[in-house]
Amino acid sequence: MDACREIVYFGQPDPMGLKQLKEAWNSRELLLSFFQRDLLIRYRQVLIGVLWVLIQPTLGTLIFLLLFYFMGANRNPHLNTREIWHDASVILVGMLLWQLVNNSLRDATGSLVNHQHVITKIYFPRMLLPLASLLCALFDLAVGGILLFPVSAWLGQSFHWATSWAALLAIVWLVVFCFGAILWLSSLNAQYRDIGYVLPFVMQLGMFLSPVVYGLERIENSLSRFWQVIYCANPVASCIGLARWGVLGSPMPPVLGLMLAAIITFLLVASGLVWFQRSNQWMADRI
Amino acid sequence: MQMDENTPLAISVENVSKKFRLGTFGEHHRLTEAISDGFKALLSGNFKTLTGDTREFWALENISFKVLKGEVVGIIGHNGAGKSTLLKILSRIVTPTKGRIGVRGRIGSLLEVGTGFHPELTGRENIYLNGAILGMKRSEIRNRFDQIVEFAEVGQFLDTPVKRYSNGMIVRLGFSVAAHMEPDVLIIDEVLSVGDQSFQDRCMGKATELGNQGRAILVVSHNLAAISNICCRALLMDHGSIVLDGPPKQVIEHYLKGMQVDTGKVVWEPATAPASSQIRLHSIGVRNVHSLTSNNQVDIDQPIAIEIEYEVLCEGAINTVQLHLKDENGVFVLSSANAPSMNLAIDQTYGKPLPLGFYRAECVLPANFLNDSRYVLNLFLGPEIGKPTIQCHNVLAFRVLDTGAMRKEYLGSWYGPAIRPRLAWSTCSIR
Repeated sequence: MDACREIVYFGQPDPMGLKQLKEAWNSRELLLSFFQRDLLIRYRQVLIGVLWVLIQPTLGTLIFLLLFYFMGANRNPHLNTREIWHDASVILVGMLLWQLVNNSLRDATGSLVNHQHVITKIYFPRMLLPLASLLCALFDLAVGGILLFPVSAWLGQSFHWATSWAALLAIVWLVVFCFGAILWLSSLNAQYRDIGYVLPFVMQLGMFLSPVVYGLERIENSLSRFWQVIYCANPVASCIGLARWGVLGSPMPPVLGLMLAAIITFLLVASGLVWFQRSNQWMADRI
Repeated sequence: MQMDENTPLAISVENVSKKFRLGTFGEHHRLTEAISDGFKALLSGNFKTLTGDTREFWALENISFKVLKGEVVGIIGHNGAGKSTLLKILSRIVTPTKGRIGVRGRIGSLLEVGTGFHPELTGRENIYLNGAILGMKRSEIRNRFDQIVEFAEVGQFLDTPVKRYSNGMIVRLGFSVAAHMEPDVLIIDEVLSVGDQSFQDRCMGKATELGNQGRAILVVSHNLAAISNICCRALLMDHGSIVLDGPPKQVIEHYLKGMQVDTGKVVWEPATAPASSQIRLHSIGVRNVHSLTSNNQVDIDQPIAIEIEYEVLCEGAINTVQLHLKDENGVFVLSSANAPSMNLAIDQTYGKPLPLGFYRAECVLPANFLNDSRYVLNLFLGPEIGKPTIQCHNVLAFRVLDTGAMRKEYLGSWYGPAIRPRLAWSTCSIR
């Protein structure tokens, strides 16, 4: 039994940061434990429990829908209920996907710092901590996407089956993007707590720079072709646009923008993996 | 377990060194500071300030040793000798600056009991969480769940949040999970010294059992008795190096001999004195209250004065002084500070901004209070009690000599108790 197991040396070279992915995959049970714990804690001593997951996007959608109409943003003076539901669906898609980005980045950024007592006492793939935050945000998206979206889409009679795969693609893409972002944010925050302070403002700005509470049509009307591409180079904007195109038949983001966004996502994840692997070496010393 | 040259290696530590930077990172915790420091360095052309100043120190220097399968190895040494750093490197928490470490099989490290326990979760949930953090698979935890609960004696509280547990229960639960993880290499830091005596005995038993099963165990402890009981080999560390490696008995003897360098007074040079930005230590001394000079041997039947002299470097600094006293077995005997509610006398400086200058704090231990033993002092200074900015461990050792004041009736040994105070006794007839 011993003959087959050799001495394994710590810190094998991992220039691309790919071995840490394998390591994280090997500890997926711990990831699930962290995820389970985060969910349990979130709803312990909370009266209406998991309902909060539904209330947040619902209220958010309602607020922005009202704003939408009061600001005179609708094109049609003779609104019918179907159209209102359609507009609500458009905003809901934006809200749910934005929530994924916002919640995962917010929780993951603090995740390493909040666990510094654990990080300095025991070793495990540290990537699991921000990943657990990402899973939690994904859980919120799943609940909202399964319980809320079908209702509003059905009432708006605007659900497109044929292209709905694009929404799934957009979610996967967004998860990959968030993964890259949290690799950077969580480890930077471990050394410089400023990241955690700055993030809420950046997120607020990001919400308005992405088509969360408005549709891509507004961009088409107000920006030149060039700026539309630049706008969609933001992966969040591209993903939301793609998802809306898929399930609601909204306009498709410019293909050039989608490609730029894909490149940016790839660069973010690749550099995030390399950086996280590097920062792992000083994590316990400097956190 | 029998050991011979065919016994496979479990741990191989090869030329490991670890350098720490003092302070630099504490001061660089904000991005703005790093950026502004960067600009300063650019302007002044002095990049040394960027890469950290000369205040570096080597916590470990060129450490090499091997541990065979089934060996239980104890590591002893003074505080600051590098024991904990070594364990952290072996547990992969910290990366060594130089050298490499190899391990065969699964590592379990227990630097703290109950790492990752969440107060809101129940005992049951925490067993699964803590087990997973320690590297156990869910199925393993499920299989050993009943044993874990039984060992920890928390059966009836399994579905109560851990925040309602007593400290003892948390410690028992934490150790119990760790004791059932069955790694090939187990690393333990000073955790055998928690819990009550019977629990400690069971922990020792468990450690010995794990060793007999052929697992390699590395344990750091100040409890020399425990080391000599459960270990088959001991390493003595000092200033980041391994000084001695051999049978526990021999190593412990050597260690205790080295401790005998007693001085009644320590005076620091300003350049090397322990200091914070506001306070710099000058000296610490011990004497009998009525004697004029410091002495490392004090009489048991006279009050003992401990004098701490320090300099206030910054106008209006606020300072508190706290002492810890340990006996020669490492038993923590007492902790005392100059706060008003902990003070029999009145300390006028407490909590007040102090003008520049030298100050002397004096703490008097009553006569006929300590045992005839050797005691070691830890000293803590800082603006607030419990948040020291200056910490000196094992700063001064002194011996309390038995003058026979309490031996008019009994001449046998007082060995054992940490203190032997003269207390009020009276007996009267009640019926």
